[in-house]
Amino acid sequence: MDDESENKIITADTTPESMHSVSRRKVLGSAVTASSVVLIPLANTSCTTPMPAPQRILSREAWLILEAFADRIIPADNNGPGAVAAGVPYYIDNSLADWNNNELDLLSEGLFALTRAARSRYDLEFQLLSDNNKDALLRDMEDGKIAGFDNSAQIFNRLHRLTLEGMFSDPYYGGNQNYAGWDLIGYPGAVMSSSAEMQKMGGRLPPLHTSAYGSDYDGE
Amino acid sequence: MANNLQEVDVVVVGLGAAGGVAVLPLTRAGLNVVGLEAGTWMNPGRDYKADEIHNNVRSLVTTGNKVAGEIPTVRRSPTETAVQQASHPMMNAVGGTSIHYHAQSWRLNPWDFKVRSATLERYGAEYIPEGTTLEDWPVSYDDMEPFYDHIEYEVGVSGRAGNIQGQINSEGNIFEGPRQRDYPMPPLRSCDFLDHMQTAGQEIGFHPYHGPAAINSQPYDGRPGCQYHGYCDRGGCHVRAKNSTDVSTIPKAVATGNLEVRDNANVRRIEVDNTGKVTGVTYIRDGEEYFQPARAVLLGCYTYENIRTLLLSTSAYYPNGLGNNRGQVGRHYFGHWDIQGGTLVTALFPFDINIWYGAIAQGVMVDDWADDNFDHSGLGFIGGASLHVYTEKHPIGAAAMGTFGKVERRWGSDWKGFIKENAGRTQTAYMQTNTFPYEHTWADLDPNVRDPYGDPVLRVTHGPKLNEPMAAGHAANKMEEWFRAAGASDIVNTGGGVGPGLSTHAHGGTRMGNNPETSVCDPWGFSFEAKNLGIIGGSVMPTAGARNPTQTLQALAWRTAQHLVDSWDDITA
Repeated sequence: MDDESENKIITADTTPESMHSVSRRKVLGSAVTASSVVLIPLANTSCTTPMPAPQRILSREAWLILEAFADRIIPADNNGPGAVAAGVPYYIDNSLADWNNNELDLLSEGLFALTRAARSRYDLEFQLLSDNNKDALLRDMEDGKIAGFDNSAQIFNRLHRLTLEGMFSDPYYGGNQNYAGWDLIGYPGAVMSSSAEMQKMGGRLPPLHTSAYGSDYDGE
Repeated sequence: MANNLQEVDVVVVGLGAAGGVAVLPLTRAGLNVVGLEAGTWMNPGRDYKADEIHNNVRSLVTTGNKVAGEIPTVRRSPTETAVQQASHPMMNAVGGTSIHYHAQSWRLNPWDFKVRSATLERYGAEYIPEGTTLEDWPVSYDDMEPFYDHIEYEVGVSGRAGNIQGQINSEGNIFEGPRQRDYPMPPLRSCDFLDHMQTAGQEIGFHPYHGPAAINSQPYDGRPGCQYHGYCDRGGCHVRAKNSTDVSTIPKAVATGNLEVRDNANVRRIEVDNTGKVTGVTYIRDGEEYFQPARAVLLGCYTYENIRTLLLSTSAYYPNGLGNNRGQVGRHYFGHWDIQGGTLVTALFPFDINIWYGAIAQGVMVDDWADDNFDHSGLGFIGGASLHVYTEKHPIGAAAMGTFGKVERRWGSDWKGFIKENAGRTQTAYMQTNTFPYEHTWADLDPNVRDPYGDPVLRVTHGPKLNEPMAAGHAANKMEEWFRAAGASDIVNTGGGVGPGLSTHAHGGTRMGNNPETSVCDPWGFSFEAKNLGIIGGSVMPTAGARNPTQTLQALAWRTAQHLVDSWDDITA
C-alpha cells in the first residue's frame, strides 16, 4: 500500500475533485480489504483500539454499524462477494460526503438508533450480533416494528437503496470493487458502443469489466 | 432598472424541443431572431457519461440551474395544500429536454385530432368521458402532415412508414395516417429480444413494428449513427446521434446568420403596451436585468413555465396574466397517463433477454389497443394505450427489480440468488394512454411556494379521471397477453393506475382551439388576446395521443413560426 495515498484518505479531503483522484481510488480497494479483515477481530473481542479511520465523513461508530448493515443486505455467500468486499460502505460514505450530504445526520442518527435497538434487545452493538439476530432486527426495522425507532422503515429503505447503488454502480464511486456487483447480475460493463452481438439472447454475455471512467477505475 | 436593448424582429423564449425548431423557419425567412435560453450549451465529451449514477441517480444531465427552484407543487383536490415535488426533468440548456429525452418521435394518429367529433359519430354522446373539457383540435392530421415531414427530415427521424399515400406496409404502423414519403432513415437496429417479441406479437394477431426515433440509425446530416451504449435515458448523446435541437435545427439556424443564442438568460416577464400588444421580454443574465424589445414573441418553454410565465406577466391590460382575460390559462392542463401514472406491466422471462445495451427508443410498438384502432362498443371508454417493449437496462435499476413474490425480502442471500438469476430477465413495458383534459385538473400559481426570485411556482391540481384507467387497464391486459405469448413465466400487472400529477409529457394549459372562450391560442398557436404572441410546446396540445408528444409539438412549433413569417405584417401591425 502506498502510504502517501493512505494519508490522503485519513485526512478526509472532501472536495469532489479529490474524491475522484486516481491515487485515492487506487487505494480504496486495499482499504476495503484491510477494513474487512480488521472488523472480524473487533467483533470477536469487543476490542476498542481504534484503527485508522477509512471513511471520509461518517463517524467511526456509524461506519461500523453501516458495514454490518450492508453485509446483511448483500452477504458474501456462494453466489459471490458481498457488499463489504465490494466496497459498498465506501460508496455510501463518499455520497454522504458529497451529493447526499444533506442526509448525513438523518442516516447517522438512524444507524445509531439501530444499534440502540440492538443494545436494548440483545445487550450488544448491532455489528456484534449473530447474523440471525441481525436479520431479525433488520426485519423489524424494515417493517417499522422497533419501539422508539419511529422512522426505522424510512431509514431502512434509504440505506437499502444506497447499498444497492454502491454494489451496482460504476466502481469509480468506490463500490462494485472488482466488478463484484456487475458480475453478480451479469452486466458486462460500461461501453461507448455496443454491437448486435452484445444484444444476443441465449445465455449470459461475457464480462468486460469496464468502467465509464477508464482503466484507472477498474477496481483492481 | 432594466437595460434596454435594441429591438429585434422575434424573441423566442426557450431553445428546447419547440423553440429550437421554431428558430429555423424564422431565420431562413430572414427574420432577425434572439433566442433566450435559461441554460447554456452542453459539451458531450464533458457532460454525458455512460453512468447510471451521473444520469439517473444524481440527475446531472437533466437538472438545470433554473428549474431546480421552480418545480411545481401538486395536490389531488382543491381542499389539499399542494406539495412541491422533489425533482422534475425539465432541463435548462440549449436543446432543452430534447437532450435527454428518449427521442421516440411519432406522428399522432388522425383520430387524435378529432376525438370528440369522431366519438360522437361512432359511439354517441354517452361515450364522451364525464367531466372532460374535450374539444377537437383546430387542425387535422392532414394540416399537420407537411410539418411532420419537415421535422422528420430537418431534425432527423429514423423509422419505417406504415402508410405512404394510402399504401399500407406492415413493417411500419398500419394504423398511422397517410404520409407523403418514407422516413429519411431506416429504423434503429433490431436485436434478439425485439425480434422475439415481434414474432410473439404477430402470432397472437397484433401488429408490432419498430418505432420511429429522432436518433440517427445511420450517418445523417453530418453526424454518426447510434452507438447503442445503453445510457440514452436521462443522458445526452456522446456522439450526437440523438437529434436534440442543439445539434440539429439550432446550428442550422445559427448558420443563417440571423439567430443570436443568448444563454443563461432567465426570462421573468413578457411586457405589453396599453393596447395589449406584446412589446418584448424582461430577463435576468448574470444578475443584471435586461429588456429585449421585439416585434413578436414566441413563448417556447416547458409546459409548466409557459403557463407560469403568462400568469406572472400581469399588467393593466391583463390583470390576471397575459392572454388570460377569459381565465383559460392553466385550464385544460393534464399529465400524460403512462408509466408515470402507474400503468405497469412487468414480465419475468425464464431466460436472459440481454437488453443491457441499446436505447429506450430501440423498441417494438403495438398500436392495436390504442386510439380508436379497435371497436369500443360496450367497453365504456374511448381511446387506449400503446404497448412498447425496448432495450437499455441499467445495473442499479436491474438489481432493484420487483421480486414477483419469489423471495420473502428484498435483501439477504435468498434475494441475492434471485437477482443473480433474474436481474437480466425482466422488462416493464412502456405504455402510453390517450389522455384528455378535465374540469377538475388545472394549473395555477401556488399561494405558498416561491422560486428564488420570489415569484410563485406553479401549482397542479390533479383530480380523478374515469376514462383513462379503463383504457389503460384494457391495454395492460393486452400487454400481459403479449408477454405471455413471448414466454414470460411471471407477470405483475398493476392495471390502469392513478395518473400522474406532474409529467414529462405535460400537456395543455395554453391550449389551441377555435373558441376563445375555451382556449388560449388560436388555430395557428397565437394568443387570442395578444396577437403578436405565439405559444409553442406541449402546453398548446388539446389532447394526448397514445405516444410521446415531442414530434407533434415540434411540428406545431414549425407551423406557428411559419405562420408568423407568412402573416408578418398582419401579426406585427
